[in-house]
Amino acid sequence: MRIAVTGIGVVSAIGMNCTETLQSLLDERSGIGAMRVLGSAHAELPVGEVPYTDSELRVHCGIGDEPMPRTSLLGLLAAREALSMAGCTVDTFISGTTVGGMDLTEQHWLDYQQGKATENIRLHEAGESTQAILSHLQNDQMVNVFTPSTACSSALNAIMLGANLLRTGKAKAALVGGAESLSMFHLNGFNTLMILDHQPCRPFDANRAGLNLGEGAGYLVIEPEEEAITRGATILGYLSGYANTCDAFHQTASSADGKGAFLAMQGALQMAGLQPNDIDYVNAHGTATPNNDLSESAALLRLFGDKMPAVSSTKAFTGHTTSASGGIEAVISVLALVHGFIPANLNWSGTAEGLIVPVTHTTHKTLRHVLCNAFGFGGNESSLILSSQGIDLPAAESRKPVACCSVEQTDDSDVSIYISAAEGRRMTPQMRRIVAAARKVVEQSGITMPEAIICATQWGCMLQSMRFLQDMLDSDEQQLKPTPFIQSTHNTIASLIAIMTGNNGYNSTYAQGKQSLSCAMADIEAQMSLGLIRNALVLEFDEEVEVWDNVLAHIGDRTHAIARATMFVNTL
Amino acid sequence: MEQLIEQLKSQIIEALNFEDMTPADIDTDAPLFGEGLGLDSIDALELIMLMDREYGIKLADPKAGKAIFQSVRTMAEYIQANRTK
Repeated sequence: MRIAVTGIGVVSAIGMNCTETLQSLLDERSGIGAMRVLGSAHAELPVGEVPYTDSELRVHCGIGDEPMPRTSLLGLLAAREALSMAGCTVDTFISGTTVGGMDLTEQHWLDYQQGKATENIRLHEAGESTQAILSHLQNDQMVNVFTPSTACSSALNAIMLGANLLRTGKAKAALVGGAESLSMFHLNGFNTLMILDHQPCRPFDANRAGLNLGEGAGYLVIEPEEEAITRGATILGYLSGYANTCDAFHQTASSADGKGAFLAMQGALQMAGLQPNDIDYVNAHGTATPNNDLSESAALLRLFGDKMPAVSSTKAFTGHTTSASGGIEAVISVLALVHGFIPANLNWSGTAEGLIVPVTHTTHKTLRHVLCNAFGFGGNESSLILSSQGIDLPAAESRKPVACCSVEQTDDSDVSIYISAAEGRRMTPQMRRIVAAARKVVEQSGITMPEAIICATQWGCMLQSMRFLQDMLDSDEQQLKPTPFIQSTHNTIASLIAIMTGNNGYNSTYAQGKQSLSCAMADIEAQMSLGLIRNALVLEFDEEVEVWDNVLAHIGDRTHAIARATMFVNTL
Repeated sequence: MEQLIEQLKSQIIEALNFEDMTPADIDTDAPLFGEGLGLDSIDALELIMLMDREYGIKLADPKAGKAIFQSVRTMAEYIQANRTK
């Protein structure tokens, strides 16, 4: 099956649609500047903001004053553009995010605590921010809705899942990508990691000093080529290869040799049946942190050797749009294919040992294949290849995986046997339980290195999130501890297990409310049917958090703790 | 100085969640990173934050922590010389 891209939609600091985005790229016009919309105390930090307030975005979207996370407002604009360009109805919507409705939670936290919480607090959930986009798409054909949440690689993982569902007949056409707004929460979080540049970011530059955060959304409409041709759609390009790996090195840093990044890029090439010299352009992750750019350069040098294709990071245009970055940069890659150009890597002035040399000015060139990278916290690494000509990817009948072994850890009685005090010192008690459950299942199943690790969670790592949120609001965004932020992302659990066991295999997380487990199962089923994996470790994780339960009590709900690990195997 | 070292050990234990450790378990001159306590880059960020919070010392460059955090003693010496509170 050839997977055609028939629609693209994008919103970021450099444009509210594809036309504006293309023009900014061609004109080498960055969207990074002083903070105007986000009301953070750290206004000294430059950001890539979409230059409209929430109210102005509502007018753009043509929606009333119902509460809607900024993530969803941005997502809605990009989703509508992609669907309108494709001119078809999709049955699958896969939208990556991590921030979800955190912006609303941080704005209304005091009200929530004073008992003024309404049903709106449900919008905190990543999956609900995806549903909020869907509710304005006027699409009653939607069968599949997924919210992958693997931090900064979320949107690329959304695209991959969409492709796997097409190839196994579970989807006819899919809207795939990601959306993420800026929030005080993650701006402060990145600030505690000391990786935010106080100037416009300089990807791959010798003197780079960190990233600038950005926001936006980017989506593709993908469908089988045959369908696109039958309905007379314009094909913009093809999705011809993709891979997801885990660096399994560190929660917030990439390995010096870029192992995970190398494996992801190599895996994408292998799926496409391409050689490194077939790639004409790499849209790098290139965040401009000292660590990422050196690690990604090491991986690129290992893969391409002295035949390095044109490489650029477009984050000096948009800022690092975190969970949306894979979607936005996949759209930029399609624009590059369609219009025949390599976008500039802005703000670069010199190289240093170990760094690749990027393309510093937008250059016209006919492109055959573009490799697009997105790497996330926890070492969640993803790469995909977009091509001007289609490449046949095998399709398969869908087959159900079976559970061979499952453990639910409901108390702490034997947790210390499975995790030492030193290993678990930064973890919450519930995190230690899921590690114990995972280790028991690995032991009982005899599958020491599962080929996929997938976490299903409703609220994510809520205890650490609430700690960071409370500290941030109490301290006016000063002197925050990094650890709660590092462990606040939804993908903390799956990536932590990979790091603790040195597992470089597929790694993902779904945050789709009570449907998270069925999302994880659909992912596994598609991958097993396609022969991409033979077994998978599924982790169900949620923790009871008093401060959040007090808020949820106002709408008659509460959190439900679970720490269950299950090993699934192929039926064959 | 000895008092500062003892106080610092307690603060390190608390900041880095070494729940079952006491100040006596930390050797004043042992390396904090690699061997010794076996700290990593996340701990380094926590220590930078600790110096800001407790002693009013702001480090703009995380790389500067390397020399300061060699041992509890080097950290205490740096704090003694640079504290603003």
